[in-house]
Amino acid sequence: MSRRAAAAALFAFAALAAGWARARLDTLEAPRAGTKELLYLPNGKYLRAASLGQAPIVADVVYFWAIQYYSDYGREDRYKYIEHVFGTVIPELDAHFIDPYWLGALILTTEAGDVEGGLRLLDLGAERNPHEWILPFLAGWECDHAKEYDRAAAYFDRAARIPDAPAALVRLVAGMRARGGNLREAIAKWEEVLTDPRGDDVSHAIARRQVRTLRVRADLKDLDAAVLAFRERRGAPPRRLEDLVRAGLLGRVPLDPDGKPYGYDPATGTVSSEASRVLGS
Amino acid sequence: MKAIAAVALNTFREAIRDRVLYLILAVALVVVGGSRFVAMLTVGSEIKIVKDLGLAAISLFGLLIAVFVGVSLVSKEIERRTVYTLLAQPVARWQFVAGKYAGLLLVLASNVLVVGSAVLAAVAVMGEPPWVLVPAIALILVELAVVAAFAVLFSSFTNPILAAVGTVAVYVTGHLSWSFDLLKKRVAAGLARSLCDGLHAVLPNLDRLDLKAEAVHGAAIPAGTFAAAAAYGAFYALAVVVLACVVFERREFA
Amino acid sequence: MSAVIDIRDLRKSFRGHLGIGSHVAVDGLTLAVEPGEIFGLLGPNGAGKTTTLKMLLALVRPDAGTVRLFGRPPKDVAARARLGFLPENPYFYDYLTAVEFLDLYGRLHGLDAATRKRRIEAAIERVGLKGREGTPLRKFSKGMVQRVGLAQAIQHDPELVILDEPMSGLDPVGRREVRDLILALKAQGKTIFFSSHILQDAEMICDRVAILFKGKLRAQGRLDDLMSPDAKWVEVTVRGPVPAGITGERRLNPDGTTLLTLPGFDALAPVVSAVTAAGGTIAGVWPRRESLEDLFLREIGRAQVEEHVS
Repeated sequence: MSRRAAAAALFAFAALAAGWARARLDTLEAPRAGTKELLYLPNGKYLRAASLGQAPIVADVVYFWAIQYYSDYGREDRYKYIEHVFGTVIPELDAHFIDPYWLGALILTTEAGDVEGGLRLLDLGAERNPHEWILPFLAGWECDHAKEYDRAAAYFDRAARIPDAPAALVRLVAGMRARGGNLREAIAKWEEVLTDPRGDDVSHAIARRQVRTLRVRADLKDLDAAVLAFRERRGAPPRRLEDLVRAGLLGRVPLDPDGKPYGYDPATGTVSSEASRVLGS
Repeated sequence: MKAIAAVALNTFREAIRDRVLYLILAVALVVVGGSRFVAMLTVGSEIKIVKDLGLAAISLFGLLIAVFVGVSLVSKEIERRTVYTLLAQPVARWQFVAGKYAGLLLVLASNVLVVGSAVLAAVAVMGEPPWVLVPAIALILVELAVVAAFAVLFSSFTNPILAAVGTVAVYVTGHLSWSFDLLKKRVAAGLARSLCDGLHAVLPNLDRLDLKAEAVHGAAIPAGTFAAAAAYGAFYALAVVVLACVVFERREFA
Repeated sequence: MSAVIDIRDLRKSFRGHLGIGSHVAVDGLTLAVEPGEIFGLLGPNGAGKTTTLKMLLALVRPDAGTVRLFGRPPKDVAARARLGFLPENPYFYDYLTAVEFLDLYGRLHGLDAATRKRRIEAAIERVGLKGREGTPLRKFSKGMVQRVGLAQAIQHDPELVILDEPMSGLDPVGRREVRDLILALKAQGKTIFFSSHILQDAEMICDRVAILFKGKLRAQGRLDDLMSPDAKWVEVTVRGPVPAGITGERRLNPDGTTLLTLPGFDALAPVVSAVTAAGGTIAGVWPRRESLEDLFLREIGRAQVEEHVS
C-alpha cells in the first residue's frame, strides 16, 4: 500500500507545483493581458478557436488570401470589408503582424480616398505595437497628404518619441507645424533639432536655414498684419514701421536674422526682407 | 531505474524502426524547405512566413507523433499480448508506463531537434539570427510532453481510437482556455460558474506554452516567464503520467 | 521445504458483456507445487487454466483466495524475479532481432552486460536457434517464435518455469523437443508448472497433475496414484474363427480380424487356448492400463452428471 501512498503524494506534489507555476504565469502575463483583451472582438475569435494553437500561420494564410482578394480590381464593394479583414480578423490572430495594418490603410487612403478609415487601421496597429515607429509615421504621411498638418505633426511627434525611431522624424514634426501655419511652434521645433547633439551636420544645416527662413516669415507676417490694421484705422499705411509701435499695434520693430531692419515701402505698405535670399547676405 | 531505461530505449527503437515516423519527418522537412518559396507570395516581410511555417511544422508534426505513437504505446502491447511476458518480469507496472513515456519523449525530442535545426538553418540562411526562436521551440517540446502524457494515460485504459479522440480533445480545449474567461463573464454565479472555474483550473492551459507569435516578431521572452511556463508544462505532464501509472496498476488483463 | 506455488481456495469470475450475467472462471481451486517437480495443470479449453496462470502472474486479481509464489504474493517483484513465463501463442516485438529481444528481457531482470551475453548465447543454443540470432522476429515461423519464447523464459536461470500450453501448434518433433527441454530443466533442479490440453505429453513427463473442469478441481495428485498401475484390461486381436462363450467385448475390425477386450490377464490364458482350439490365430495382445485420457474423460463425465443432477 505504500506504493499507493507514494503515487498519491507524487501526484499531489506535481499538481500543486503545476498550479503554482500557472499562478506565477498569470501574474507575469498581466502586461500582455491588455493586448489580449482587445482581441476578444466578435467574429475574429471563432477563427482563432479554429486555428487550434496555430494562430500565427493562420494569420499568414488569411493575409495571403487578402492580398489575392484585393488584387482583383473588378470586385464590387471592394472596400467594404477592408477594415474588418485587416483591422479585426488578422490582428485577432496575430496582433503583432505589422504589414496588414499599413497595407489595408494604404488601400483605403489611396484607392478609396478613405483617410479616416486608413488612420483607424494605423491607430489600431500602433496601439498594439507601441514600438513600431513606422505606423504613426505612415499615419502622419497620410495626414500630410490630406493637408491636415496639425494631425500630421502630432503623428510624427508620436513616431519620433519611440525609441530607435530615426532622428529625422523630428524634422518632419517641425515641417508639418510650419505648413500648418504654426510658425512659432515650428521655429521652436527647428531649434530643438539644431541643438540636438545626435543630429549630423546636414540636419543642423537644414535646421539653421529653416529657423532663419521661418523667423523671417513670422516677422513679415506680424508686420503685414500690423500694417493692415494701421491702414484700416488711419486710412493709409504708416510712414515708418516705428509708427506701428507708437500706435500700439506692435510690441517692437523686429530685426531680421542678420540684425538688419526689414525693408518697408510706405507708398505701398509692403514689407520685405533680403534675408530670404539664398545667395544674398 | 534500469528497467525504465530498458523499456524507454526499446520504445525509442520501435519508433525509430517504424517507417511512418520517417514519412512524417520527411513531410515536415519538406514544409520547412518549401517555406522559402511560399515566402515569395507575400507582400512585406518574407522571413515571417519562413518562421511561422517552421514553428507550425515542428508543432503540428510533433503533435501527430505524440498522438498516434502515444495512443498505441500501451494498447498495442495489450492487443498483441506482448504485455504478458513483459509484466511477468520483475518490473513494476509503473516502471513499464514510465518507460514507455520516457521512450516517447525521446522520440519527440529527436523530432523537435531535427525539424527545429532545419528551421533555424532556414532562418539563418535568410540572414536573421535564429536564436530568438529557441525558447519558443523548447516550449513546443514541453507542450508535446503534456499531450504525450495524456496519450499514454488514455492508452492505458482504452483502445487506440478512443484514446486518440480523447487526446485531441484535450489539445483543443487546452487552446481554448481564453474562452473560459469569456464564459465566466456570461455565466451566472453559482454551480455553473464553479464548474467553469474548476474545469479551467484543471484542464491544461496550452496557450501559456505558446510563445510562437512572440518569437517570430523577435520579442524577447523574459527568463521568468519561460521558466514558469516550462515548469507548468513539466509538472502538469508529471501529474498526468503518475495518473497513468496508477490506472495501469489497477488494470486486469483477462 | 515449502511449496513453490501455493494456491488456496482461489476464485475468479468475469462479468458478461454489458454487465449482464457472470461467468465463473475459477471456483475454489486449491493446489500446491513442490520444488523440483513437473506439475501439469490439465483440462479442456475454457476450464480456467489460463486464468489461473494469469492470477499466478498478477495479470488478473482474484476475487477470493490466496496465491503465493515462493511464499510471496505475485505482485511482489522479488517473487517474479525467480520465475520464467511463456504465454500461449506468444507474440513478441517483431521489429527486434532475437538477440535484441533477449537482451531487453535480460536487462529487465537486472543482468549486467557480460552475464546477459553469456546467458543469451547459452539459451539460444539450448532452444536450437543458433544461427538465427540476428534475424528480426518478424521473419520467424511459429515454431521459432515458440523457441525464442522458451529462451526468454529460461535465460535468467529461474527456479520456476511457468508455461501456458507450451506444445500447442507444434509438430511432433517440436513437441518432443519441448518435452526434452522440460525434463532437462527438471534435471537442473528447477520446478516446472505448465498447462495443457494435450494429455499424452503430460502423461509422459509430469510428476503430478491437477485436472480442472469448468473452474473446479476434479482430481489432483501423482499420476501413479490417480491411475491404477495394474493392467485394467487386455486387448486381443484374433484372425479367423472366434470361439463362443468368451466374456468381454468383441468388435470386428475393418481388416476382418476380431478385437476382443478381456477384463484382465487372468482371462488371457484360457482365451488363447480356446481360440487355438477353434482354429483361429492370435494376431496380437495388448495389455492396457488406464491412460490419463481415460481418467480425464471419466472425471468429466462424472462432472457433467453432477451438473445435470444439481
